[in-house]
Amino acid sequence: MRLSKCSRARRTLPQLALVGIATLALAGCNEDSFDTKTQVGANPVLPDPQQYLLPPMKIARTTSWGQETPKVAPGLRIEALATGLGHPRSIYVLPNGDVLVVEANGPRAPINRPKDLIMGWVQSFAGSKVKGANRIVLLRNVKDGKAEIRSVFLDNLNSPFGVALVGSDLYVANTDAIIRYPYHEGDTKISAPGVKLTDLPGGPIDHHWTKSLLASADGSKLYAGVGSNSNITENGMQAEIERASIWEIDRATGAHRLFATGLRNPNGLQWEPQSGKLWVVVNERDELGPNLVPDYLTSVQDGAFYGWPYSYYGQHLDPRVMPQRPDLVAKAIPPDYALSSHVAPLGMAFYTGTNFPASYKGGAFVGEHGSWDRNPFNGYRVVFVPFKDGKPNGSPQDVVTGFLNSNDEARGRPVGLAVDHTGGLLIADDLGDTVWRVSSIQ
Amino acid sequence: MKNSSSITAICWHPIHAMLIPFPVACFAGAFITDIVYWRSMSFIWETFSVWLLTAGLVVAGVAVIAGLVDFISDHRIRNLRSAWIHALGNGLVIALSLINVFVHSRDGYTAVVPTGIILSGIVVLIMMIMGWMDREPVYRHRIGVTD
Repeated sequence: MRLSKCSRARRTLPQLALVGIATLALAGCNEDSFDTKTQVGANPVLPDPQQYLLPPMKIARTTSWGQETPKVAPGLRIEALATGLGHPRSIYVLPNGDVLVVEANGPRAPINRPKDLIMGWVQSFAGSKVKGANRIVLLRNVKDGKAEIRSVFLDNLNSPFGVALVGSDLYVANTDAIIRYPYHEGDTKISAPGVKLTDLPGGPIDHHWTKSLLASADGSKLYAGVGSNSNITENGMQAEIERASIWEIDRATGAHRLFATGLRNPNGLQWEPQSGKLWVVVNERDELGPNLVPDYLTSVQDGAFYGWPYSYYGQHLDPRVMPQRPDLVAKAIPPDYALSSHVAPLGMAFYTGTNFPASYKGGAFVGEHGSWDRNPFNGYRVVFVPFKDGKPNGSPQDVVTGFLNSNDEARGRPVGLAVDHTGGLLIADDLGDTVWRVSSIQ
Repeated sequence: MKNSSSITAICWHPIHAMLIPFPVACFAGAFITDIVYWRSMSFIWETFSVWLLTAGLVVAGVAVIAGLVDFISDHRIRNLRSAWIHALGNGLVIALSLINVFVHSRDGYTAVVPTGIILSGIVVLIMMIMGWMDREPVYRHRIGVTD
């Protein structure tokens, strides 16, 4: 237990209310001076875990972009590709250059504990007020921020996130199943009914609901990221069956095996262009302190176990998990590249285009949705991680920032990323309800 | 002499005395479900504990308001040493249970072991002592008793 004084007066409304409920001097508002730069790369500094009566929390008040846009690194420019979307979460670029934007909301979370009531209310301050339509919108021939065609491509989906095209089979990862639809180049709408390839772990709890999707180069396999059903097993291990893992699904039969496990909430599955290896960004666990546990970017080895829930970064045990599994902890491997704590990476894209300056070639962009359980904020940006010979090479660089304004209000929050057919970087902003396009000034 | 009255009463049934068994049973129940969680490590027992603590605290809050009104409105109650002991002892029960509900709102094993279950046990102990001493205000000083 750690009781600490509130050292800074700057608190958000829900925090004030919570502090009022607690009527105790609790942690939750003390600003942290930890240098997040010590938590990036291969060997992040890992402080001792701490447990709180009221964990640190800082929820960003939201505001709109108005006429402003995010800021970009020198040599780049940014424009809105489409605005007025409904909670855009991920982006997929079709071979003809059409852009699919997945508008989605998570399923309604059940109330299992009194905490769920409070957290649901607190977090409602942080998100977009627009409800995702749970559909996919198609954008074509976008010039100067206006799409020549903007049509509802697929409707009535169930909290969709991942999309993958193999030949004429378009797969959509709903939160509870992968559905196949027939697609022909040039289609602006699919009205044919989908065929289920496989179920995925969904409700009724469905804590981490986003299912990223990626097809193998030969098209025979699909890979799906399946997040855990809790922060740290508080919903019981029965709820975690086949979760916190990456599924490998046989496209012909729908049969699956667990390609890798112990990945708390894996998203943004991509093939690293040089090595052809699978890479992913992962959201690590909360409530062990403002600087634990760093979220990460990692290659994914076939059959590997990455620790969740028993341990993190190799053999660092989580005191909240009982009974422990020393047999699994012994074989847990640390991830490749830490991104620092609570940045919430939800999207990733390797840069394979030619539009950007040459230094971006082959590196990874990561969309950091932004923190809620530490003060000051962390994330709320798109970073670039340079790669060399198939491995990260250097510190992450801020490429797109300004999602928070100078008053620490959130104007947007980046989620899914994609590179379009002319080499622009597309960013789904689920708070600003916008898709941004970053390109070279030239 | 007329008995001290409870002004927060429904048809002469004092609300404060009427509500007290509810949080007592909830907090005692939470200690039992904590013990079962500690032995079984099955998350559902922790869920029972945290709801019992929450329900107990909500009713205890109403009981505190009714009790305070009685306490403040009648100087004869204020002058009773046993009424002060009752207020302070049960105030401690509520304060510890409030801390305990935050401990129980953690995720996983440390929501209960060791801090949560220790707090639950201390609260039960205090409630037993208070139960022993609380006979006095009603049985001897007849607060809220109609003749």
